[in-house]
Order: sequence, then structure tokens, then C-alpha cells
Amino acid sequence: MTKKESPGTCHETHDEADRGGCEIARRGFLDQLKCAVAGLAVTAAAYVLPLEGQTALGTEAASIPAIPGYDWSKHRWAYGVDATKCIGCLRCVKACKTENNVALDAHHFRTWVERYVYLDGHEKPLIDSQADPVNIAAAGTEEDYRFANRYNNDDVYKAFFVPKLCNHCTHPACVQVCPTGATFKTMDGVVLIDHNYCIGCQYCVQACPYGARFFDHVRRVTNKCTWCYHRITKGLMPACVEVCPVEARIFGDLDDKESKISQFIKNNRVQVLKPETGNGPNVFYIGLDSEVV
Amino acid sequence: MEHLFEAASFTGYVYPNETVFPWGVLIVIYPYLTGLVAGAFTISSLYQVFGVQSLKPVAHFALLSSLCVMLFVPTPLLLHLGHPERAFNAMLTPHVTSAMAMFSYAASFYILLLMTETWFVFREHIVHQAQHLKGIPGLFYRALTLGSYDLSEKAMHYDRKWIYALSAIGIPAACGLHGYVGFLFGSLKSREWWSSDLMPPIFLLSAIVSGTALTIVLYVVACKLRRTTVVLDCLKMMTHVLWGFLIVALVLEGLEFGSLVYKAREGIDVILQFVTGPLLVPFWIMQFSIGAVLPIFILTVMFWRKTTGRNLIIGATVCGILALFEVLMMRTNVVIGGQDISKTGKGLLSFPWVFMGREGIFAAAAVLIAPFILLLGMVRVFPPWGEEPTGREELDFTDPCAPTLAQLMVDRDLSRSEE
Amino acid sequence: MPKHISRLIMLLVILGVVAYAAKQYFTVNSFYEFGHYRGNSVADMASNKPKFKGSASCKDCHKDVYKQWSEGIHYNPAAGKVVKCEVCHGPGGDRGTKGMFDHVSTGPDHPQNMKMIVPTDTVKLCVVCHEQIAGRPAQQKQIVIADHAGTQQCTVCHNPHSPLTINEAKPTPPIGNVTAGKADVDAAGCAACHGPTGISDGLPGPNLAGQNQPYIMAAFRAYKSGARSNDFMKDIVANVKDSDITDISAYFATQSCKSAHNGDADAEAAGQKLALASKCATCHGTNGISRQPVWPNLAGQSKDYLVSALQAYKNGGRKNGFMTKITKDLSDADFANLGAYFSNAKCQRDGAE
Repeated sequence: MTKKESPGTCHETHDEADRGGCEIARRGFLDQLKCAVAGLAVTAAAYVLPLEGQTALGTEAASIPAIPGYDWSKHRWAYGVDATKCIGCLRCVKACKTENNVALDAHHFRTWVERYVYLDGHEKPLIDSQADPVNIAAAGTEEDYRFANRYNNDDVYKAFFVPKLCNHCTHPACVQVCPTGATFKTMDGVVLIDHNYCIGCQYCVQACPYGARFFDHVRRVTNKCTWCYHRITKGLMPACVEVCPVEARIFGDLDDKESKISQFIKNNRVQVLKPETGNGPNVFYIGLDSEVV
Repeated sequence: MEHLFEAASFTGYVYPNETVFPWGVLIVIYPYLTGLVAGAFTISSLYQVFGVQSLKPVAHFALLSSLCVMLFVPTPLLLHLGHPERAFNAMLTPHVTSAMAMFSYAASFYILLLMTETWFVFREHIVHQAQHLKGIPGLFYRALTLGSYDLSEKAMHYDRKWIYALSAIGIPAACGLHGYVGFLFGSLKSREWWSSDLMPPIFLLSAIVSGTALTIVLYVVACKLRRTTVVLDCLKMMTHVLWGFLIVALVLEGLEFGSLVYKAREGIDVILQFVTGPLLVPFWIMQFSIGAVLPIFILTVMFWRKTTGRNLIIGATVCGILALFEVLMMRTNVVIGGQDISKTGKGLLSFPWVFMGREGIFAAAAVLIAPFILLLGMVRVFPPWGEEPTGREELDFTDPCAPTLAQLMVDRDLSRSEE
Repeated sequence: MPKHISRLIMLLVILGVVAYAAKQYFTVNSFYEFGHYRGNSVADMASNKPKFKGSASCKDCHKDVYKQWSEGIHYNPAAGKVVKCEVCHGPGGDRGTKGMFDHVSTGPDHPQNMKMIVPTDTVKLCVVCHEQIAGRPAQQKQIVIADHAGTQQCTVCHNPHSPLTINEAKPTPPIGNVTAGKADVDAAGCAACHGPTGISDGLPGPNLAGQNQPYIMAAFRAYKSGARSNDFMKDIVANVKDSDITDISAYFATQSCKSAHNGDADAEAAGQKLALASKCATCHGTNGISRQPVWPNLAGQSKDYLVSALQAYKNGGRKNGFMTKITKDLSDADFANLGAYFSNAKCQRDGAE
């Protein structure tokens, strides 16, 4: 993997982050003893914090993030996947990596596509994704993605593709476990990661039941799908939706009853992945199958 | 191409992002160290709070060991972080729902508690040294006295009360600390191998096992290095503790595994495939057979045969080492094993072991050894041995007059009732 | 209370105060503004520049191609199928300061400067969506590449911006020296089989008169390289210099062709029907005048040669994935009808006479 010039998802220099970051760095190398001593008092302080947060929110109730021409209180984003339409071309995977500066390899994906193939006479499907070594070999490089023609079509009883991405859950387990508040859910329903604040502990990677998060080895923080927050706040579609040639991916605003996603959810019996986790996913699927994980 | 990570090989289907393990050997070391702390502190507290007099020779030593190890608990975490320089973010803006953020507070509190208790325990020594030493060492001790050389009976009475109180708080704190480490894993619903309500008690009990085993081994090694005699009833007491907690830990692990298999939720096929395949040697042979069953067996035989003297020392040390090994394997099998099983429930990964680098085995080994190098220095600064056991020479097992276990127990009871 | 204890308590309190003060001081400003996170990070993330700009951003400069695309099968919003520009060409850019390109291809934001995929290997590109593989829904048009066109580039036949449109190219004036070609033809003894002007007229070889020059050259080179094997031709082409191939092919290409008039009307009618059904027309034209110079004209070709060529494709004597697939299900009678149809078809291009 090559070092990228700029991490891209976050601007690296912001006054607050800078000040905090430098000071933290200086203190980070103090010995453990001081750290420990400081801890006791801060323990007490920890209980005061939520109150402070509320106070801040209370006094500036009208304030919204400074995004030009965008009010996050007026949107409620959601995502739909029509698995029956997906042709497994993987242009979404490629586009996502390009749009978001993600390493072009087989181990870091904000979105990916799975293929389920039931061969004749088999109860369990064979599953692969574009990251499978056979498929990487077919692409000839880890920088492009394609599904290898690896099954004899005459033996295939049933087969389909399932695109996957971060579910931007209503009760995200990843946000729950984040020790610092580097990952959070925005008011418009997107789970984001503050790359300038993340310490890189990867607890959230463990907590996500969907495998949607990964450790970004270039930036040394956790990374994942943001539904292209920089695009949707400008009125654009996420990159994966933008390039999907068959409308297998649908994105939109639930607050707009005429939006594609509202219509998609209204007109179909939609499902979510792993509902038993209680995370409340916000990526709605049609055309899933019992063996889809 | 810059080498930034090791990709894992896999069978079946795993999510593409899972092919790089988030947590490696450093995160194996971290709960292991925490466990040693909690266990060693328990031994110390058995004396300080419950007045188990037979543990007196190791009480202060165990406390020091506990402190030394605890000071190194954050190192594997810091080494593992992508941005260690931001580690304080977790304390500056702790997320109250995060087990990890709260752990940093719990650990800080516990380090403070350990340091305070150590200070009280060694205050007399500190004052003596402050009065006699010159130069930088003298300055060091004088700073530690906080400007008070008060060793009056009244002051010492206060100290004893504080030590008692701190130990008493320390026991739930130690248990909480390590139970919490178990919670850190057990609370993750994403991994079937971890997601168990029994995880905290299992971690806690294995912590006490490892801490006791560590104290046994360190005590014997220290006695050999110092060419002093091993106090056998102290050692015997510790073997009892080890034996008891080993059994309970084993039973709990059995129950956890049993219920996992019995409930047979989605993904059990892969778990069974894992347990009977890649985990056969590390889990069944190394952790279960060699690490747990064998020491229980040896200890039981020793109790039954009333083994004492040199054989007791050898037996206890061997069992201590085996138990230490058992807990290390258990941590490995939980931390690495849990990640070996894919979240898809349809695939298995194989952890890529690396030796070099920040998260390699060498780094982990260094972190594991470092506390004991610190301890080596610490016992010189704060000698934990008290008055040397002159009255009781090392007991010869051929001596027909050697006290039996029962006698030793009586001794202990008597000594306590005398207080 | 002894002095050391009160001092210890004091020390702990001081530490607590210092730690609390440190926490207050070091906590970044916008933290807690909207919740338990750095409020400014939301706007930070939203401020990143999009790279994929949508097809509309290509429209202003690439008008022709945009028109072809928007009228073709790759733009079918009603069916929910739209292959946007950036799907094949990569993102429009992200480094631009002005939102659109400064210049046609020199602007910092243009795909070309982002080392975008300029899809040269269309076989690799098109099969991403159109190769027949397990999992692809039936409504998606799919091909088995080996059967469809082998290693031939998709863009030879298909207009990638509108793939149902089959490319048609008018023949260009021959390159090379026709006079020199005539001398070379005489020297090489081509006339023995192909006739002096490329009308074989009963001789064993195919008619070459009026054939597309690029096709003759390609065939010549195929014989030379061994890709096409024929014992006669092997010896003959071995003695021809590479530089003479152009002249020879120019000579034959400029000669007048001649269609047969052997008048089996039924066979011709059957052959014409079959020619359309078997998609011969897709490449070779409805009347046997090929749509691309690299493919041979069939109109006016000798019937015997056509039949033997078709048989060779069918039985593997000649290799071309596409032809193999087409001839696979045809019988000898079909071949005869096709031969009859094409050999009698008018070989002059419209307007050439």
C-alpha cells in the first residue's frame, strides 16, 4: 500500500483539533504515574460531563453544523438495496474507494458485494466477495474488482449478489463502545468518524456485527462508510448510488415522502440484516435469502 | 509498497474487512497483566483484610508485584493504538457508554489505590531511609515522607486502619477491574465466542488463578535468589487458593462452553469446527489439559499425600507455572480465538503471527517481562520481606515431625486468634 | 489526624483539581456542542470535495458522445438502467478549484489527469457487467465471451456509448502502390489460384478483387504468423516481404469485383433469410458488404469458398470464436444456401458504379 498524500475524509488542520491534538501529544508521553494520579479526580469529573454537554446544547439550541446550504434537522437519510437487481459489476466498490481515498486493496472496504451461489444438490450456498483471492486473481490486481466466472453455470441452482455497507444503525453498537466520542450519530441519521479525534483502539471494529468498519492503516484510525456525507450534504447521491448502473442501490431522505427511498420502503416488503442485534439498521433490503449473513 | 498490516488467510466466507485482525497479541497481554494485578492483590488482601497470617511473608511482596504489573497495564494498549498520542482523549471526553473509556478511569483509580496502599505499607521503611540516606536516594525517600517522620503508635494505628480500608476497597476494585475486562469482551454482541454473560466471572477467576500462581512462582524464585528459606505454610496456603480458584474457573469455563454448544445458535457449526480443528492443540491440550487439569491433579495428589518440604516447593512452582501458562493460553484463545471466528458465522480466519514490529510477539514479550524488571528494582527500594523467617528452617519432607497440613491450618487459626 | 495523612489527602485533592482543570483546558472547543463528539467535525467531513460529478458535467464538452449515449441503450432511465459516464471513465475529478474543467484535457480536474481508466481494453471493461456469470440476474444482457467474440475488442463492433449501434466504417482509399502491387502479385504467382485480377472464377482460391484492404492485410499476416494455416499460402507468403503486403493488398482491393449469376433463386432466398437470422448481417452487412473494413465483404465471393470457409469454422479448421458460435448450429445445406446468396449478391457498393 502506498502512502496517500492526504487522508481526505477530514481536513487535518482545524484550530480546535490542533490545539487539543498537540497538547494531548505532549502529555501522551508523561509517565503512567502522573496519568494515574490525574485519573482519580477526572473520575469524579466524568459524572459532571453529560450535564455540561446538555448545557452547551441548551444555550445554543438553534446552532447547527456550519455546512453551507444544509440543515441537518431537515433530513433523515436512509439507504435501500434491491438485491434482485444487482449485477455484481462492483463499480460501486471501485467508486467508493476512489471517492473516499480508501486503500485500493482487498482488505479495506466501505462497501462490498457478496455473491451467494447454490450449486445443484447443495443446501448451503458458496459465498464469496470481491475480496476473495480467486476474484482478486481474476481482476489481476487488488486495485480493481470483479467476480470471477468460477462456477460452471450449468451446475448453478440459484445465485444472487448482495451489496453490503455500513447500516448507519439507529442504536449503533460501534458508537456505544467508542471510548472517546470519535464516532457518533448525526441528527440526520449518519454514523460518522472524526478522524482527527479517533485514537485507533479498534473497539468499534470489534463491536460492529456487520464487519462494516475497518482500521485504516494509512491514517491509523478507524474508517467506514459515511454515505458520502460530503456529497449528500451538497444534494448529491453517495458515490456508490451514483455509479450503480441498475439502480440496485437507492438512497434518499425519509422525510421526503416522494423520495426514491421512501417509495422503495413503501412499495416493498423490506428487510434489514441481523435485526436480532438490536442495532436498528437503516439499510433496507429486498431480495435477501435465508442464508444471507 | 509499504508494509502496513498482515492479512489473515481464511476458509469459508468472512467479511472482507475481517481479514485484518483488529486486535493482536498485545491485547492478549493486556487482560493477562490486569489479571495478574487482580490476583496478586487478592493474595495481599487475604492477609491485610482477612488476617490469613500464613500469607504474611508474601503479602507485601504480592502488593508490590501488583503495583509493578499495574503500572505496565496501559503499555500494551498504548502500543496498540493507532494514535497513542491521542490516548488522553478517552479520559478528556470519556464516553460513558463505553466499557473502554470507563476502564481507563477504573484503572487510574486502581493505580492510585495501589500506590497509596503501598505508600502506607512502606511508610515506616520510607521514614527510616529518609533519616539515614543521603544524596539523591535520601531526597527521594524524604519526598515520599511528605515531610512527616511521624512513626508514633498513634500514627501507625492510623496507617493500619488506612491499609485495612484501602485493601478492603481494593478487593471489590480488583474484582471489578478484572470483571470489567471480561465485560469488555463479553458485552460485544457481534462475536458469539465473546458474547457471554459468564465472561466477567471467568476472567475474574482466571485472574485470581494467575495472580496466585504468579505470587507462588515469584516467591519461590525470590527466595532462591535471596538464598532464604521458603515458608512452607505460606506456600501451602497459596496452593490451596490456587487449587480452589483453578477448579471454580474451570467449572465456569466448562459451563460457558457447554451452554454455548447446547444453545447451538446460528454459527455453532463454525464454532464446533473451530474448536475441534484449529483450537484442538491450544485449547484442549495446552489450556485445558496441561494448563488446568494437570495442575489440579498434581495439587490434589500433593494434598492427599500431604507432600511438604522440597517436593512441595517443586510441585507448587510447577503448578504455578502451569497455571500461569493456562491463563495466558486462555487469554490467547479468547482474544485471538474470538476473532478467528468470523462474524458471518460461516468462516474461520487464521491469525497471522508475526514476531517483529510494534504488535509482534517480541514487543508483547517485552511488555510481559518489563513489569518484573521493574519489580526487581522495586524490591530494593521497598523491601517487602519484613523480618526474616529465622524460627522455621526449610522443612525436610523426610522429617517425621514435619507438620501436616492440618497442623498448619491449626497453626494459622491459632495465630489469628491470638491477635 | 497525623500530619502525613492530612498531607496525603491534600495531595490527592490537589491532584484532583489539577486533573479537572486539565480536562477543562484540553477538551477541544466544539466538543459537546451537538452531543458527545467534536461538533466541528461534522462540517469538516461535509466540506470534502466530491469526485464523482455526474454525467451532466461531461455534457458541455463531449456533445456528440453525450448525444449518442443519451439516445442509446446505456441510458434507459425508464428501465432503471443508466450507465453514467463515470462508471467507465472514472470520476470527473476532485482537485479542481473551479468546479468544472479549465481546459478540455489539461485542467487539473479532468479525468485524464487523474490517471483515470481510459478504457483501452474493452474486453475487460464490458464483461464487468455483461459476462455471463453465476449470480447475475437474467434481465441483464450477458455473453459468454469465448463464444461471442473471443479476444476481439468489443468496440470493434459496438459503439460503447450506445452498444446496440454497430459501428460502420466506410472504406478508406487504399494505401500503398497499386502498380508495385501488380508486379508483386505477378512475381508471387497469386494469379494461379486467385486469377490475375483477383477474380478466381473457378480457380481454387477465393475472389480478392474489391475485397477490403485491411482484411486482406490481416489475412496475409495471419498466414505469415501461422494463425491461419494453409499449405499453399504458407509457402507463398513466406517469399513475400512484409513491405509488399500493403502493395499487394492495395492492388486487389482496387480491382473490380464480380458477382456470380448462377441463379438458384430458391437457394438465394433461403440464404438471405438465414443471413439475417444468423446475424451475418451484423458484421458483414445485410447485403454482404461488411460494416467494418477489418471484416471481409462476402458479396460476390465464390460460393465454393464461402461454403468451405463456413465448414472450416464449424469444424475448427479456422478459428474465430464468433464465427464458431454462429456456424455451430448450421447445416451443410444452410452453408450452401448462404453461399448461394452471398456469391450472387451485388458486390459493388452503392454509388460505386
